[in-house]
Amino acid sequence: MKPQIKSSLNAGLTFGIVTLFLYLIGFTTTASQIIQNLLKLEPESKVLGMDALPFSFALFLGLIGLWAGARQARAMHKGQSVGVVLGSAVLTGLVHGLIVALVAYVTGSLNASGVKLNTYLSQLLPASVQLFLFDQPPATGAFLQLGFLTLTSFLGGALVYGLMASDIFGRLAAAWRSLWSRVNDLPAVAKFRASPAFNYVAYGLAAVFLLLLPLRAGQYWNYTLGTVGIYVLLGLGLNIVVGLAGLLNLGYVAFFAIGAYTVSLLTAPSPHGLVWDFWLVLPIGILAATLVGILLVVPVLRMRGDYLAIVTLGFGEIIRILSKSDALTWLTGGPKGVNNVGGPALFGRTFDDVGYLYLIFLSVLLAIFVTRRLQNSRVGRAWESMREDETVSRAMGINILRHKVLAFAIGAAFAGLGGVLFAARNQFTGPEDHNMMVSINVLSAVIVGGMGSIPGVIAGAFVLKGLPEILRELENYRVLAFAALLVVMMLVRPSGILPASRRKFEFQSGDESSNRGGEGSAK
Amino acid sequence: MAMLEVTNIHTYYGNIHALKGISLTVEQGEIVTLIGANGAGKTTTLSSICGLTKPRQGTITLEGRDLTPTRPHDIVSLGVSMVPEGRGIFARLTVAENLDLGAYSRTPNRQEAEKDLGEIFSLFPRLKERYRQVAGTLSGGEQQMLAMGRAIMAHPRLLLLDEPSMGLAPILVQSIFDIIKSINQRGTTILLVEQNALMALSIASRGYVLQSGQIVLSDTAHNLRENEMVQKAYLGAG
Repeated sequence: MKPQIKSSLNAGLTFGIVTLFLYLIGFTTTASQIIQNLLKLEPESKVLGMDALPFSFALFLGLIGLWAGARQARAMHKGQSVGVVLGSAVLTGLVHGLIVALVAYVTGSLNASGVKLNTYLSQLLPASVQLFLFDQPPATGAFLQLGFLTLTSFLGGALVYGLMASDIFGRLAAAWRSLWSRVNDLPAVAKFRASPAFNYVAYGLAAVFLLLLPLRAGQYWNYTLGTVGIYVLLGLGLNIVVGLAGLLNLGYVAFFAIGAYTVSLLTAPSPHGLVWDFWLVLPIGILAATLVGILLVVPVLRMRGDYLAIVTLGFGEIIRILSKSDALTWLTGGPKGVNNVGGPALFGRTFDDVGYLYLIFLSVLLAIFVTRRLQNSRVGRAWESMREDETVSRAMGINILRHKVLAFAIGAAFAGLGGVLFAARNQFTGPEDHNMMVSINVLSAVIVGGMGSIPGVIAGAFVLKGLPEILRELENYRVLAFAALLVVMMLVRPSGILPASRRKFEFQSGDESSNRGGEGSAK
Repeated sequence: MAMLEVTNIHTYYGNIHALKGISLTVEQGEIVTLIGANGAGKTTTLSSICGLTKPRQGTITLEGRDLTPTRPHDIVSLGVSMVPEGRGIFARLTVAENLDLGAYSRTPNRQEAEKDLGEIFSLFPRLKERYRQVAGTLSGGEQQMLAMGRAIMAHPRLLLLDEPSMGLAPILVQSIFDIIKSINQRGTTILLVEQNALMALSIASRGYVLQSGQIVLSDTAHNLRENEMVQKAYLGAG
C-alpha cells in the first residue's frame, strides 16, 4: 500500500476513534450546548432551516472534520501534488465518516427500537443519540454524517493547501518585518530609540496607563486586577526561590498566611483588640514572614529537589491547620477567621478600591525593581549556579547555606507583603484563604508564564487569575475551557508564555546543532 | 614544607569506606598525578581536599594550614580550585557567566577581570569566540576548556583536575594536556586525576597509584611508566 494512503487511513481511524470517544462520554451534546450558548441562540430558533441545537452540533462536528482534513493535508504537504494532498484529506474524511456513521447508525437503530443505551453507557442518553444523528432517522443521519465529515475534511485540506501554497502567513510576517525595520531605520526614529528619552517616554506612558486604569476600570475589575497584582507579587517571590535558586517550595502559601494573619491580628478589634495602624503593621508583617522563612529553611537546608518540595508542602498545610485549630482559636480566631481587618489611610482618608489598586501596583513595581537588581547581582549569579549544580557551585567557592537562606527569606518577604495587602483589602483573613491551591496556583503562574522571567511571571498571573474572570461568560464550562487553554498553552509554548531568554533553548530541538562548533577544529 | 600534605585520610559515603588511609604530598610547582581504576577513590580524594566530602580521620594541610575544619567556599579562597569530573559546567548560563562564577571567591574589579579574561582567552582562544553563547551548546572539548578556564579564574595556586580527558577525541586529549602543561609552567601546582595513565604520566613529575581506597605505589612518573605492574594494569602492556 502506498504510504500516502496508509497515512490517510491512519489519520481517519484516529479521528474516528476520537469523535466516537467524545460521543460516548456525552461530550458532543455538552459541546453543542456550549456553542449554542456562545452564539446566544434561542433553543427554539431555526438557523439555515435547522433547529438551534443540531446546528450547533453540526458546527462542532464540522470543526473536527476541518481539523482532520487540515492535519492530514499538513502532514502530506511536503513535496506532494495538489491531487495527492486533497485526495488524502478526502480519504481521511471518508474513513473518519464511515466509522462515525456506522456507530451512529447502530446506536440510532438501537435507540429507535427502544433499547436504553444509557443503562450501559451512562452518558449515552436518547437525546444525545438523536442529536448525534442531527435529529434524523438513523439511516439518513448516518449518511449525513459520512457526507458532512468527508466534505469538511476536504475543505480543511483545501484551506491548509491554499494557505501553505500561497505562504500567506510567511508573506504577512515578512511584510510586517520589512515595514518595522524600515520605520526603525528612519534616522529620526533610530536616534530617538537610542536616546535616553525613549526609555523615559516608554516608562512615562506605562505610568500614565497604570495611574488611569484604576480610575476607569470600575470596582469589579479593580478587585480582579488587585488579585492579579497580588499574584504577581507572590509569583515574583516564588520566582526567586524556584526560578533563580532552584529550590522547589510548595508551601509558599505559609508566608502569605503569616503576612495576612499578622496584619489581621494586629489591626482587627477582635480577637485581640489591638487596633494598630496599618502602616506600622505592614513592615511587621513582612518581617514576620521573613523570619518564618529563615526558620523554615534551617531544617531543610540539606534537602534537595523532591524532598524539599514535600517538606515545604507539609509546612504550608501545618500553618493552615494551626490557624484553624480549636486550640489556637484564642490566638488566630479559629475556623471563622478574623473580620474587620484594618486598612491603610492617608491624610485621614481610608483607601477605596482605587487606592488599594495603586498600593498593589506600587508594591509590584518595588518587587520588580528588587528582583531585577538581585538577578543581575553576585547573589543572583550565585543562585543560578546553585540551581544548575549545587556541588559544583560549592566547589566554585559559593556559600550555599547563606544563599539558600537568602533566597527563602526574600521570597518569604514578598509573600508576606502580598498577604498583608490581601488581608487588608478583603478586610478579612480565614484559614481557607491559605490552602494549598494558593501555592499551586502561584507555582503554575510562574511555570505558565516562563520560569525565571519577570514579564513571564506577570503574564502567568494574568492568565491564571485574570483569565478565569474573563471566562466567566462560559459559566459552568469555565474550568473546562480554562484547563483546555492551559493545555494548549503548554503545547504551543512549552517554556512559558514569555520565557527567560536563557531557558528558551532547552525546549528547542534541532536548532542547537547549528550553534555547535566542530570538535575537531578546536585545537 | 610541601604545598599540599594529605596524611592518612579516611573518607566515607554513609557506611562505605571509600578512602582507607590515603597519604600524599604535592610540592610547589609540581604536576602530580593520581591514577587508578574505576572506584579506586581518585575523585573522592579530590573532593576531600576541596572539603566537599569531609574525611572522618586524618589531616589535609595546605602550606601548613589545616583544611579539615575549613568550609569548601573558604578553601577556594585559600587558593585551591577544582575542575570537576564530567566538567560540571553550568549548562544554562553563558560562557561569560560561567567564567564570572569562577572568580566568585575573589570579587575582582573590572580591570582585574578583564586581565584575567585576556589570560583565559590566550590559553583557550575558542572561548573568546563562544563568549556570549550558552555553555550547554558548546562541544565536549569546549566545555572542558570552559571548566578549566573557570577554575583558573579563581587564581588557584593548586589546581585539581578530575579526568580532563574523559569523553574527548584523542586529538583533543593531546591539546588539553598541552594546556595543562602550560598552566603549570605559569606557576600553578597541579594535582591531576586520570584514567588515561599513559598521558598523565607523560606530563607529571610524580604519580600515585590508587587501588580500592589505598595507595599501592608511589614513584616518579618515569619509574612508574617503567614499572611492570603499572604497565600491566594501566598502560595496556601485555
